[in-house]
Amino acid sequence: MTYKVEELNNVSIVHLNGEIDMDVADKARQTILPLIESGKSVQVNLSKVDYMDSSGISVLIEGKQLAEKKSTKFELIEVSKPVEKVLSMARKFL
Amino acid sequence: MSEIAHQDHIEKKAFLVNSSSLKDVRVFCREVFEKLHIQEDLKEELVLAIAEAAQNIVKHAFKNSASPTELMVVQISCENNKLQIAFYDRGTPVDPKKVKHREIDNVKPGGLGTFFIQEIMDAVEFKDGKKPWINHLVLTKQL
Repeated sequence: MTYKVEELNNVSIVHLNGEIDMDVADKARQTILPLIESGKSVQVNLSKVDYMDSSGISVLIEGKQLAEKKSTKFELIEVSKPVEKVLSMARKFL
Repeated sequence: MSEIAHQDHIEKKAFLVNSSSLKDVRVFCREVFEKLHIQEDLKEELVLAIAEAAQNIVKHAFKNSASPTELMVVQISCENNKLQIAFYDRGTPVDPKKVKHREIDNVKPGGLGTFFIQEIMDAVEFKDGKKPWINHLVLTKQL
């Protein structure tokens, strides 16, 4: 997995790229959560993520919960088809 | 259920028990499913279920601390359009009664893997592991 963080109009956009599994979930977590922790609005662009397992979904749940706690925005944008499919299975938990 | 008659096939591969192997498990599964001509959408669902089961071995049976040479084996077989995926490992014995996904209203990270496996597969069965194995998990799906 690779990533890029872009700042646009006071929003941090995290572009994730590749496959997100247990092996790299911590890297995604350490990229996304500190941005939310600092009070920024965060968007995660998932257009180039071609595989995500439960570890990746867990990072997104943590992001959502931390954003609620910090009263900031956390959004998923341009969700790829493979990720949408996994999210649709997990949606009852989200 | 698929209308395609999938050719009978059996293939297995051993992987080191660590999180870096999960990508190799996915590559192996995709290669086998290509040979079986399983359609793309179903293929990726099956890959997810298998990778989640392998992840459970790394995370739970070995608690992320397997020795560097420890192996797990994944065997994929297809017979009469019934797909069977078997996992063998030598980790802590799994108590099948304790393996369940969490409650739907319990929103917290983690624990989704078992839910995905149960959603995707028709059956999930823990069998007695025959020596040298301790755990033997079998996932099945009618194609």
